[in-house]
Amino acid sequence: MSKISYSKEVIRDLIEGKLPWSQTKSIISGYKDEDRFDKYVEVLQEKVAWQEKILLPLTHELYIVQKGSDRIVKCSCGQEFGDYRVNWKLNALIHVRESEEEVKELYPYPSAPDAEFCEIREFYCPGCGTQLWVETVPFGYPLVFDFLPDLDTFYAEWLKRPLPSQKEFTDLTCDFIAQNWAE
Amino acid sequence: MEQKVVNKGIGWGGNTLKEMLDKKKQLWSDTGCYYGLQELSLSASAPFKLELLHARLLAAVIAGRETTRMISAAPQVREVAELAVALYTPEGDCLLQSTGIIIHITLMGQVVEWMIEQGYEEEGINDGDCFTSNDNAISGLHPPDVYDITPIFWEGELIGWVGTVIMELEIGAVVPGCMPSGATDRFSEGLRLSAEKSAENDKHLKSFERRIRFGSRTPDLLLLNRKGALAANVKVREEVKKAVAEFGIDYYMGATRELVELERRAQLERVKRRTVPGKFHSPTTIEVDLTRTIAPPTHAIGRVTLIPCDFHIKPDGRYFLDFDGTGAWGWHAANTTPSAIQGAVSMILTQTIAYTGNANQGTSLAVDMNVPYDSFVWPSTPNFASGWLFSWPLSGGVKWMTQQSHAFFCRGFVEEFRSGVTTSSGVFGAMTGKDHLGNDFNFLSTEAAGCWGGGAFATRDGVTASAAFMPNVDMGSVEIWELMLPTLWLGRKLLPDSCGWGRYRSGYSALSTFLIYKTPLLAFDTSATFLEDKIYPNIGMFGGYPSQGAFSKLITNANTKELISQEKPLAHGMGNPDQSDLEKNIDGDLTVVTRGGIFVDSLAKDGDVYQCFYGAIASGVGDPIKRDPALARKDLDNGLLGIERCRSMHCIEAKYDQETEEWAVDEGATAELREKRSKERLAKGIPAKEWWEKRRQHLAEGRLPRLLKVMYNESLTKGQRWPGEFRRFWNLPETFTFKED
Ligand SMILES: [Zn+2]
Repeated sequence: MSKISYSKEVIRDLIEGKLPWSQTKSIISGYKDEDRFDKYVEVLQEKVAWQEKILLPLTHELYIVQKGSDRIVKCSCGQEFGDYRVNWKLNALIHVRESEEEVKELYPYPSAPDAEFCEIREFYCPGCGTQLWVETVPFGYPLVFDFLPDLDTFYAEWLKRPLPSQKEFTDLTCDFIAQNWAE
Repeated sequence: MEQKVVNKGIGWGGNTLKEMLDKKKQLWSDTGCYYGLQELSLSASAPFKLELLHARLLAAVIAGRETTRMISAAPQVREVAELAVALYTPEGDCLLQSTGIIIHITLMGQVVEWMIEQGYEEEGINDGDCFTSNDNAISGLHPPDVYDITPIFWEGELIGWVGTVIMELEIGAVVPGCMPSGATDRFSEGLRLSAEKSAENDKHLKSFERRIRFGSRTPDLLLLNRKGALAANVKVREEVKKAVAEFGIDYYMGATRELVELERRAQLERVKRRTVPGKFHSPTTIEVDLTRTIAPPTHAIGRVTLIPCDFHIKPDGRYFLDFDGTGAWGWHAANTTPSAIQGAVSMILTQTIAYTGNANQGTSLAVDMNVPYDSFVWPSTPNFASGWLFSWPLSGGVKWMTQQSHAFFCRGFVEEFRSGVTTSSGVFGAMTGKDHLGNDFNFLSTEAAGCWGGGAFATRDGVTASAAFMPNVDMGSVEIWELMLPTLWLGRKLLPDSCGWGRYRSGYSALSTFLIYKTPLLAFDTSATFLEDKIYPNIGMFGGYPSQGAFSKLITNANTKELISQEKPLAHGMGNPDQSDLEKNIDGDLTVVTRGGIFVDSLAKDGDVYQCFYGAIASGVGDPIKRDPALARKDLDNGLLGIERCRSMHCIEAKYDQETEEWAVDEGATAELREKRSKERLAKGIPAKEWWEKRRQHLAEGRLPRLLKVMYNESLTKGQRWPGEFRRFWNLPETFTFKED
């Protein structure tokens, strides 16, 4: 069977939600293209204004990039959030929707979260003001570290091309708090 | 190949089923391959022959499912199609499955395994038998899901099983319906069929029929569904025997095992090609409030339970779900079990990554779990109530599905990203009283089952009808429901402004409006649902929000007769949210319900009006102010989006053209609104450190609701790893717990 591959233009349209549905549907139903990750990163790298190499796209706006010997989280606007093993939310701006008016804006009907029980946390990029994430969690729940990728396993074992230097796969969020926030 | 031995067991090759089961487990632990199959000789030598057999068997289970639908009289089978059929190995491992409520596929196999462990073989398992089970201490998701399981014999040896699952709507519980709020332990949940023999020689036993006849408020529906299931099983069994005659029994048995091992390997490979390894986390909370139902006083309490969940994608492609830190189980219907979680995992994998048509036990063999015993996810008693046993599966489970989507997104397969809709948040519930024909009447309407607005995708809006547990959804025809229920539909509409806001919004859910019809007395039980009431599920993605949750409104002593005779308007949908058509047009006493697990306070009768928003909570994806104005304009034109929220949520300015009856976006004003909003966010957002200091103070001083203190303390006491993570995050002492006042 010949290998499936799509042009960079198709991948770009797919990411941007501009590909006609009939084509998206056939991509969903078909065999997957093995070169997807590389094309994906290539397209995204062209879209951002900065030079650091994208190691892994995280969300619509956030990327893990190689910066010198560090791997950091970076917004498409250029704002940096530090080591990818520290939850990036620690370096974001937070706003919690608490007032009835603010909750009602989202939920106009009788059912709505109770602000005493539920924090509706909005995370903004300090660089561009984009809303990067919304958490709805019980009051007092630690900031959720949504995804910590195992980058070295990914590159070395799955993509078969190890990254130049290794980093331990471990969550450093609490270490960051202990070192920087706790007095 | 099996060694033929002196005939002593009923299993293939004269082995007992227990011997076969033990051998399978031993080979798995020795080799890590299903049935120890390190070489796959049949698929290597003749792949198309194997494919042909697979296709034949798959066609049989799909046809079996349709057979049942022709026999059943119940609308949830005929119309909504809440059933599924699957084929199993002698040991109870699933080989292949029909469409339908596939969450049960692995679980029917667990009943087979339980029967083997219990020594049913010694009691007698014969060709033509059927065994029926809805006992959730054995396996399964809740009592209304009834499993009918039939052995398949070939020349006197048991070579497999076929199972059919049907969701029933009445099973004789303490109050009507099939998952009533007031059933707080096993003994109040109605009929318990603990894998009991229900048929011999393909005919139901009279004793079984009598048990059903006296055990349910709607015995005819329940019995006819059993007949439908039996017919499906017989049909599949005979198709399997035809295939065995053609392919040979040795080939069939070898092939069935290879199909499982092939799929197991395929699943690991798919994970490596489509995801990124690493660790995901999200908490789920389940709220149970039994203070407004018929629960015994010892159970009539309110509580919130925390279920933190880590999801790991391992270097070898295995998935690992870790429920460490889960709170306590309780006397209510919303516990969950390892079996229920396994059902959810196989159901979600089948639809999101293992959708080749080959999903079977092998898919599930690629998933490991840590499910703590004596917790909410694994009660330490067989007597727990189980009416809403999919509390985690349908809330946390769809979050897990969304996390897997996140991994697809990172890997570049954005088209595979599908965010969740958590269905522990919106079902109609049960009705009890008199029906429109004057009969005593009890029923659970599953009109909305599966037909909720779905979570958004990474690059497009969510769909209008979606649920993880119903891949092919159908609300059924109103006319058929009206035959069963003392209600007439005044309308079914989507509820404007109720989506999960985002750059891509979730799908919209439906609002049904009913005229209560020809009944002198009707009560509503919300059933054990809407369990995410005060705390919405944490399912927003990339800056999107969870959608509007469910609610219902009842107007009693309504003046509808007068309005009808005067030909004045009633209510068919919401109308203006600030002054809904229901409240504007109809006089009477209004009751509003937003919580689950309760009886609606008022009793209804002919002429009253009930309105229900089936709002399961779904995820929006991306920053709402990055929404393409063309998409918002479409929603404006369709009446799904009001101009106020178009401005406030999306920062899009638009004007309505009376001539064309269409909206036009003002691009300049939109850009200004968006610029302004970004600045506002930068001004009102505080650094995370500031928030952390403030919130830490709240926790250290115990300034949070008592129910949450109890919730956290349960998790802090029960967990091994999670408590340390919680305390380290907040820089609290190693032994910290909350003082409960
Ligand atoms: Zn930014």
